[in-house]
Amino acid sequence: MSTENSPPPVAADPTMRRVLACFGLILAVLGLVVAVSLNNLNRTVATSDWVNHTHALITELDVLQPTLAAAEGGLSRYLLTADQRDHTAYQDKFAELGEHTDVAIALTAGTPAEQQQFQQIALLLAKRADVASRIIHFKKAGDTAALQQLLNEDAEKYDHRELAQLIEKFRSAQTDLLSARDRTLYLQAQTTRWTVLTGLGLDFLLLCGAAWLIRDALAARTLANRLLQQTNAQLEEKVNQRTAELSASNAQLAAQSLEDRWSKQALEHQNRYNLLIIDSIADAVFVVTKLLNVSRLNPAAIHLTGLEPVELIDKPLARVLALEGGKDPAKPNFDPLARTLAEGHELRDKAGLLTTKGGQSVPVRLSFYPLRDRDKVVGGVVILQHSAPAHP
Amino acid sequence: MTFAPYITPWSRRLAFWLCLLASGLAVPLDLDAVTLPELLENPRLNAKKFAGYFGDYAYEFNEAIQPAPVFLAREKGDCDDYAVLADFVLKKHGFDTRLIHVRLTGRVAHAVCYVMENKAYLDYNNRAVFFTLAHAGPDIRAIAAKVADSLESSWTTASEFSYSYESRRKLMIATISKTGEAVEPPSSVPGKSDPFNVD
Repeated sequence: MSTENSPPPVAADPTMRRVLACFGLILAVLGLVVAVSLNNLNRTVATSDWVNHTHALITELDVLQPTLAAAEGGLSRYLLTADQRDHTAYQDKFAELGEHTDVAIALTAGTPAEQQQFQQIALLLAKRADVASRIIHFKKAGDTAALQQLLNEDAEKYDHRELAQLIEKFRSAQTDLLSARDRTLYLQAQTTRWTVLTGLGLDFLLLCGAAWLIRDALAARTLANRLLQQTNAQLEEKVNQRTAELSASNAQLAAQSLEDRWSKQALEHQNRYNLLIIDSIADAVFVVTKLLNVSRLNPAAIHLTGLEPVELIDKPLARVLALEGGKDPAKPNFDPLARTLAEGHELRDKAGLLTTKGGQSVPVRLSFYPLRDRDKVVGGVVILQHSAPAHP
Repeated sequence: MTFAPYITPWSRRLAFWLCLLASGLAVPLDLDAVTLPELLENPRLNAKKFAGYFGDYAYEFNEAIQPAPVFLAREKGDCDDYAVLADFVLKKHGFDTRLIHVRLTGRVAHAVCYVMENKAYLDYNNRAVFFTLAHAGPDIRAIAAKVADSLESSWTTASEFSYSYESRRKLMIATISKTGEAVEPPSSVPGKSDPFNVD
């Protein structure tokens, strides 16, 4: 199946998670700084509008008295000269005074206390305009007595200091307000500055943390890599050593194998040579096992018995050979050859009878030699010589 | 030699539009000083065409608003002259116009003429540019904000006013502050007696 070849699942890297968390925090701090700064900026803009508002109101207050003075001065000039240009001049100044008053009313409309305070000033200014209208009315009507009386009354009643005091008091309050609003503006700017600096500082610290994490992870990985390289080198050395040992063993085995082959060949050669020796003997030779079964015989033995090797191999020797006088009627199971073999003795030139294939008994001279392997009798060799018939 | 084979409907259309464009660009440049009767009697006059007559006008600050013929003859004036003349002429042509006076931080002020049909105002500062009309909402606050933006400044108060060439008198209709609500001084409503209208 394809899954057998698929790579094993990669375990989540904790360092990577920490670095990502750091960067997430950095982004969050940045977002927070942007949001707070924008909010502060909006508040600063609003406060700045209020500062401008107060400045504008103070400006309007500052021009009220000079404009009134200019208007009344123009009116006086007109009363003296009756010149149309003076007429237009005082009218324009009174209109200008009206515009300034309207603007000031608009600027104080949002604050009831200020509105009420300025209302007194506006009322005094309107009274001055009303007096001017009445003066002009009498002037145009040519009623000199009424005009003179009005001028006299106005000179007695009107105290310009009242208006000046009201304006000064109001202006002083506005100046204090301006200071307070300017201070608020400054504090908001400071808040924005500190917000940005704190955010930057936090971000810098978080960046340092992320850098430290990355550096730590890299150092750990470098160390692990070095250890891995060392282990690999050691393994490589062991493999080389083992390979050298195996090569030496292999060479030794190859040499040994060659020696074994040579030994085997030598043994085979020796065995064949031994067999040739046995086969070349003119006497019949039987090689028997410990149980006196025939394990090998030479051509002379085949010739003497007339039996094929197949008929004798693994067969008891007693089938074809018996010691003359070796049978004791009292001991029917006694075999002198077996006894000799068991005791490890030799028999030399004993008379025996060989039974041939045709069933004839042939008198033979028998010698028996036990075969020893490390002092243990493992078999025996029987040599038969055809004995000449006894001459009468 | 004849050009007939080369004149295709497509090339004819292209030539028409090129001529139209050239004439549109050339007209305000080639005209001599326009007069008030010409402005009043032009049946196809609208806000855009009105502004087109003032592309070459110079700026000159005057304390008082100049009479219309003087302004047109001298070809120089300020925002008040232009806005008041626009209000006067376009009203005669049936347009619903409003005069707006915007006061900015410091002793700076600016006047424009808002044309309700165009949802835009005529500004003397835009007389020589392609877009002579500046779009804004009909609210005084929106107009004031747009004017202040165009001057890269903050506004403090704005007034809607009317002006009469005959009496040479401004009448405040409504004044608002940027930080407050709209206020209509009873003393300034047209038709009512203005205590500062000393006559």
